[in-house]
Amino acid sequence: MDLDLSEEQQMIKDMTRGLLEEHCPVDVVREMEDDPTGYPAPLWKQMGEAGLIGVLIPEDRGGSGQTLVEAALIYEEIGRALAPTPHFVSGVLSAGLLLEGGSEEQQARWLPEIASGQAVLTPAWLEPDRGFGEAGVQLAAKAEGDDLVLSGVKRHVNYAAAADRLIVLARSDEGVELVLVDPRAEGVSLTQVRSQSGEAHYRVDLQDVRVAGSERIGRPGQGWELFERVLQRGIVLLAAQAIGGADRALEITVEYAKVRKQFDKPLGAFQALAHYMSDASTRIDGGRVLVHEAAWNDAQGRSIARFAPMAKLFACNTYKDATRMCCQVWGGVAFTLEYDAQLFFRRAKEMQLSWWDTRTLEERVAADVLDR
Amino acid sequence: MDFDFSPEEQKFADEVEEWLVANHDPVVMDPTRENFSQLADTPERRAFMKKLAKQGWLGMSWPKEYGGQEIEGVYEYILNEALSRHAAPQIGKGVGIIGKTLIRHGNEKLKQEFLPKILSAEVEFAVGYSEPQAGSDAANMQLKAEKVEGGWKLNGQKMWTTSAHFADWYWVGARTDPDKPKHDGLSLFLIPMDHPGLEVQSLPTVGKDTTNQVFFEDVFVPDDYLVGKRGQGFQMISEALDLERFTMFTLSPISERTRVLVEWVKEATRDDQPLREAPDTRRLIANIVTDTAVAKALSTRFVCAAKSGGKPPTIQSSQYKLFTTTLSQRVCDEALDITGAAGTIREGQDEAPIRGRFEGAYRATMNETVGGGSSEIQKNIIARRHLGLPKNF
Ligand SMILES: Cc1cc2nc3c(=O)[nH]c(=O)nc-3n(C[C@H](O)[C@H](O)[C@H](O)COP(=O)(O)OP(=O)(O)OC[C@H]3O[C@@H](n4cnc5c(N)ncnc54)[C@H](O)[C@@H]3O)c2cc1C
Repeated sequence: MDLDLSEEQQMIKDMTRGLLEEHCPVDVVREMEDDPTGYPAPLWKQMGEAGLIGVLIPEDRGGSGQTLVEAALIYEEIGRALAPTPHFVSGVLSAGLLLEGGSEEQQARWLPEIASGQAVLTPAWLEPDRGFGEAGVQLAAKAEGDDLVLSGVKRHVNYAAAADRLIVLARSDEGVELVLVDPRAEGVSLTQVRSQSGEAHYRVDLQDVRVAGSERIGRPGQGWELFERVLQRGIVLLAAQAIGGADRALEITVEYAKVRKQFDKPLGAFQALAHYMSDASTRIDGGRVLVHEAAWNDAQGRSIARFAPMAKLFACNTYKDATRMCCQVWGGVAFTLEYDAQLFFRRAKEMQLSWWDTRTLEERVAADVLDR
Repeated sequence: MDFDFSPEEQKFADEVEEWLVANHDPVVMDPTRENFSQLADTPERRAFMKKLAKQGWLGMSWPKEYGGQEIEGVYEYILNEALSRHAAPQIGKGVGIIGKTLIRHGNEKLKQEFLPKILSAEVEFAVGYSEPQAGSDAANMQLKAEKVEGGWKLNGQKMWTTSAHFADWYWVGARTDPDKPKHDGLSLFLIPMDHPGLEVQSLPTVGKDTTNQVFFEDVFVPDDYLVGKRGQGFQMISEALDLERFTMFTLSPISERTRVLVEWVKEATRDDQPLREAPDTRRLIANIVTDTAVAKALSTRFVCAAKSGGKPPTIQSSQYKLFTTTLSQRVCDEALDITGAAGTIREGQDEAPIRGRFEGAYRATMNETVGGGSSEIQKNIIARRHLGLPKNF
């Protein structure tokens, strides 16, 4: 038993941190809030060149073919830096869907470009008044000859304006389909919706959008199975991101608690506050190992049906609670836009509500424990 | 035991409610401003306060000789809860803190100048206690007041003066006697907000509104505008807080938010199923409603203690503030959990459930557990004064 990172893993982590410090300082993070594209081009280019975008894409498709463990290390750094990038939707989910279900042609067409960052793909999944489960996918896919005709509304589509293709989850007579759709195609319209974190989110309206059957990923009706499988791995990375964010928020808070004085004492000398921070650090450290364990199990080829939702459930709750506590320790200044605590505070809540929320994750853990 | 208002109190509550419904004006009453809706910071809101003054509802608890009605503070509590329930500007600062302090300690000139204007809502105040180094440790104010011919010269900085950008007068604590122990070296001053040496800088917040920092450069204050006795500033500030228990942090905005949430949940669907049938939603709502009832119980507790006269209900109001502000944040947090992904849509967009009311409130309530005496300070008060635990700082 050994929790140490290998030399190579440590290198990936250090390299990612260095790259993010250089290309994604906090003023860049702030600038990108509500930006229609939503991510800085120089950062994205650097991540592509460093092989970070393609971390989970095999080498023969232009990626660096690493396991979920290395990807989790990268995501912890992304979380620390609050880096806004389409990495998750493109490099993890879209690439994952293509790898799991894409044809040879689709893989050859998209994976190398995803890995380099030249192309961005993003899933269009959630719908108004619908949940995170299979039943939530109701956007209509009508078969007409060899074509599929899509009509309906999608929401929370991240980085849609920058995307070369959407992967639309749609419902046909066979079940859920995954369909590659050009966001510039006729009948597709994008509306930016401002989110709590300021990440670039879009509502996508599809009206009789005709797509060739060859744009379907996987077999007819196989879409949900593929999506669930890919998202289940993906949420381990979001858990890592949440841990990274919580860790950084705690770090700056602890620093502040050492220097800010009231009643002639540093705030950290008040046990009330010291204990909050100790609790948070315990949860963050435990959460990090849980995330690593989930990623490691996946890398070993073992099932993470329980570990993955546990990791995101715990990490996102920890992130949310820790950032509120941090704001409390900062006192009034946390409430001002000028200070960074609020950046973490808003992102933590949004992460908890996104890509399977607490309710969905609890249900998945409970089902794995109780229903098998 | 009696949990109801007396018939007279109830009559007043009904009268206020009826009047507020009749005078409803969305420009004046904007619940999405959350805590900041209490400020009379626009011409419309100031006009509203004047109407309230015409009703005779300002200074009800003041002595008759100063234009008050000498009635119990509970009427001001009833009024302020109703105002905050409707997201209207509230009484408190002028009538409460400043008016009551002037009545007890002010010189004749200040009484004559300010008390009538407070009653007619012709003056708005900003309260300047906090400074960069004087937050929870309020007695640590460093703003320097130097004695000069005929008055005082003030230099330094205030932090968090929320009303500085619209108020007429500034109620300010400053250090007049740096050689005395820190609680005995402070005095209170009244300064016109447009005084040339004052520079107001806005501090935008993560909620929708802004607060301010204020810089003082050689601000001259005539002797007459030092309130009460020199060196008694901190004592008067503490006393004013005790006098103002009835109009402190109100509960109505939170019960209103709970009500709005419940109304929404009753109508909402997820995957075509009524949301109210989901067990997790039912559990969250049941606990929110229960805890809101406890907050109400804690407020009933301090109101009854305050009504009885006697000692100021310090412990009761600390418990109330501690519990209620924490609940306020939790209601927002769990409301977003109930809405799911749609909860991430930022406030003010039609796409969002209840136009993002809870997304906005999640941000806007962040400082409720900090401002006006943080949760930790309330806990210290409860631990020491209620439980008799030893002081550890
Ligand atoms: C939006 C806003 C509006 C405001 N409006 C006004 C206004 O109009 N006028 C005005 O005068 N002030 C105003 N304030 C100031 C407010 O009262 C202070 O923010 C508050 O007193 C806390 O001070 P601080 O922000 O300096 O935090 P600090 O005092 O630095 O506190 C930081 C943390 O340390 C904790 N802490 C401090 N001392 C102890 C202790 N002894 N034991 C345990 N924990 C401790 C606190 O609880 C907090 O968690 C406003 C503040 C805000 C954010």
